[in-house]
Amino acid sequence: MILSNTETVPGRTIREFFGVVSGSTVRAKHIGRDIMAGFKNIVGGELKGYTELLQEARQEAVDRMIQQAQSVGANAIVNVRFSTSNITQGAAELFAYGTAVRVE
Amino acid sequence: MEGWLAFALQVGPVVVLLVSTYFIGSAVEARHFRGLRMRELRSRNFPIATLREVPEGWKVEECGLVSGSCVISLDYFKRFVAGLRLLFGGRIASYETLLDRARREALLRMKESAHAAGYRAVIGVRLETSQIAAATRQGGTAGVEVLAWGTALKLRAP
Amino acid sequence: MSFEPRLPRDDVNVSPTHPLAEASWLLVAAAVAGLMLAVLAFAATEVVARWLPPGVEARLFGDLWDAFGEEAGADDPPRAALARDLLARLAAHWPENPYRFRLVALDEEELNAFALPGGTIAVTRGLLASVESENELAFVLGHELGHFAARDHLRAIGRGLVLGLVLRAVVGAGAGEAAVPSLASELASRGFARDQERDADAFALQLLAAEYGHVAGAEAFFRRLPDADAGLAERATAWLATHPVSESRIAALHDLAARSHLSSSGPLRQL
Repeated sequence: MILSNTETVPGRTIREFFGVVSGSTVRAKHIGRDIMAGFKNIVGGELKGYTELLQEARQEAVDRMIQQAQSVGANAIVNVRFSTSNITQGAAELFAYGTAVRVE
Repeated sequence: MEGWLAFALQVGPVVVLLVSTYFIGSAVEARHFRGLRMRELRSRNFPIATLREVPEGWKVEECGLVSGSCVISLDYFKRFVAGLRLLFGGRIASYETLLDRARREALLRMKESAHAAGYRAVIGVRLETSQIAAATRQGGTAGVEVLAWGTALKLRAP
Repeated sequence: MSFEPRLPRDDVNVSPTHPLAEASWLLVAAAVAGLMLAVLAFAATEVVARWLPPGVEARLFGDLWDAFGEEAGADDPPRAALARDLLARLAAHWPENPYRFRLVALDEEELNAFALPGGTIAVTRGLLASVESENELAFVLGHELGHFAARDHLRAIGRGLVLGLVLRAVVGAGAGEAAVPSLASELASRGFARDQERDADAFALQLLAAEYGHVAGAEAFFRRLPDADAGLAERATAWLATHPVSESRIAALHDLAARSHLSSSGPLRQL
């Protein structure tokens, strides 16, 4: 599955498009990460725990989007966009969406 | 003995709420999912895409901005489970179904309003999710809003 | 580019776990975590109760109870001065007594007496009015002194605090906040465990014997309570709730006295 956030897949032409596909996941942090983040809020610096958590979650969202695209017979997803939203205190939704297409 | 009675009186309503909202909530959700699937099948011939440019070969007569949105709230059971999940971390399944429903509903409403206005397709689709916070509890969520918008096209027959 | 109408799978963005299964698994995990925390914290309060020097305790808590009332005032209930004197005499029989005890008389008709951290014993006007001999009052005061000797009150407060914290962390997160304060206070105010009560009784008997030479009148107060007129029993509900009266307790008192070779008969001093 080819993923691209541009209008077309560079070097290929789009023959058909199938519509919007999306993948999302909602992840909560656990208390351990929260406590470490609390410390970091005092001294500053990268919240490695959260970064990893969100990276994992984003990857899962992308995987789900690819699954949807595969189910319609696409071989590429173009114009991919990401979105992170705070759903409730301590949980975030990772969301990826794009247009499933068949390229040649 | 009376200590346990007092405890039961405090916990009893919570348990009753949990059980009843579980059943009511899952019934409502199942019905919504069935409805969504039916509407998606019915409207599958209406193209939507996140593409920013008009697909080649299409002749556009008119265009307009269309949108659809939906706010869905959690039931008590889901909120309880999500609260526990926040202690241990991981995927919050109850919120995932919530967002899936809200997103599909928003997209369908966008499609349906575009169709009702006489458009033939929507391109440049964007989605946005936001938390609608409750005023009563700090950090509490009244619900989640998903907004879908895009440019709808009226096509000239080729 | 042409459009091909195809519907994607709709089960991709939802987790397949059944909500009830997930809920029960989470509840079990939360209960286990809460239990472990509680056990750890109970152990910690045990250590603190044992090692906190009374001097530090007195300094920490001493001033807190000033809000309850002055030590001696013009509107003291009758017998309050007597009770203070009695307390001082009883405490004198406890040579290693590290506290500076003081008695606070509460202006309430309810019969109650309790020990507060820092060396303060609170008794109500109702209790002072209902005792019929000095020996009875001495037993009640001596019993509270026994709790101080064993640092029971620290344990109880510690446990109440810890339970409250743990419950709030576990249950509060799940939006069941209503249950927390009542359960915590119920468990904390259940009073001291039976063996703690027995030890306090034994201590009280020792003090009685030291002061009067015998332990007669020790259980007279308790014996009277359930049979007494309805008014008395009603006003004693608070006391009874935390100091359950039973034949077995009275029998245990006799037992204790016999084993310590203390005489159960002798003249009762009137107030």
